[in-house]
Amino acid sequence: MIGRATAVALIAAGVVLTATAMVLPWYSTAYPGDVEVVVRAWGTEVVNKPGDWPAGDLSPWYGLPIAVTAALLTAGIWVGRAALAGAAAQLGAVGVIAALLVSERGHAVEQQGDFAIGFGLVFLALGTLTAFAGAVAVQREAA
Amino acid sequence: MKIVSAVLLAAAAAAAVTATFLPLSELLIRLAPDQPQTAYVTTGWATHFGGTKDRHGPLFGVPVAAAAIALLAGIRWRRTAFAAAAALAGVTGMLFVYLLNAIGFHEEGNIAIDPGLEAGFGTGTWVLMAATVLAFGAVVVHPDD
Repeated sequence: MIGRATAVALIAAGVVLTATAMVLPWYSTAYPGDVEVVVRAWGTEVVNKPGDWPAGDLSPWYGLPIAVTAALLTAGIWVGRAALAGAAAQLGAVGVIAALLVSERGHAVEQQGDFAIGFGLVFLALGTLTAFAGAVAVQREAA
Repeated sequence: MKIVSAVLLAAAAAAAVTATFLPLSELLIRLAPDQPQTAYVTTGWATHFGGTKDRHGPLFGVPVAAAAIALLAGIRWRRTAFAAAAALAGVTGMLFVYLLNAIGFHEEGNIAIDPGLEAGFGTGTWVLMAATVLAFGAVVVHPDD
């Protein structure tokens, strides 16, 4: 038992880390010719986009479900079980991001691209684990 | 209600795993007017364009399977059921956001090649959503608190 105050502090720290992740790059791939594809929570940016780049944008708003889970985490400070719902849902959502990350890295390596993980993803992972630990602790305190 | 909840959790886990083998999204396109349609299909375990498999296709089945295992654990350890249902909801939500954009991207990028192309969610996405509803249903009929 770590006490409710510590558990709530962990949730709050998780929310802050997650919020920070929303404004930082998650991962990127640099290709020859100074072309760089940067994936963020609110869309994908193509730096120095070549003229023959495919039409349309593969630019999902990954931040949307994360914003919902962060809101649930925040609500969990006052509303019982909301924090656990938010933390578990965020863990599931990050699982999908992990699957995409492995796939994108494979594509990048195959196309001679230089793949890099951004601080946003590091903050997201840390925020998710911190919030999850806090949410579980709050549940145990309540039990 | 305990048995009903267990059955619902087992059904949700089974539906979630089944969904990973079904198409999550599909694009049907004619690459030339006189050719048959070629299917671009994403499942939880592979992405195919016609007979070609993307060697680095995203394995969405992994987080779905993990959530399904957590649901099954919820039958034995009641307190994990709610978290498992929420985790499945998180997987489904993020997958929906990704696929929604990917489908739009495929439409926009290929409409000039085949104006009659068909792109949309596959049955796997709807089965996954149904699994999420079943999982929360299990928690509602037999809450652990």
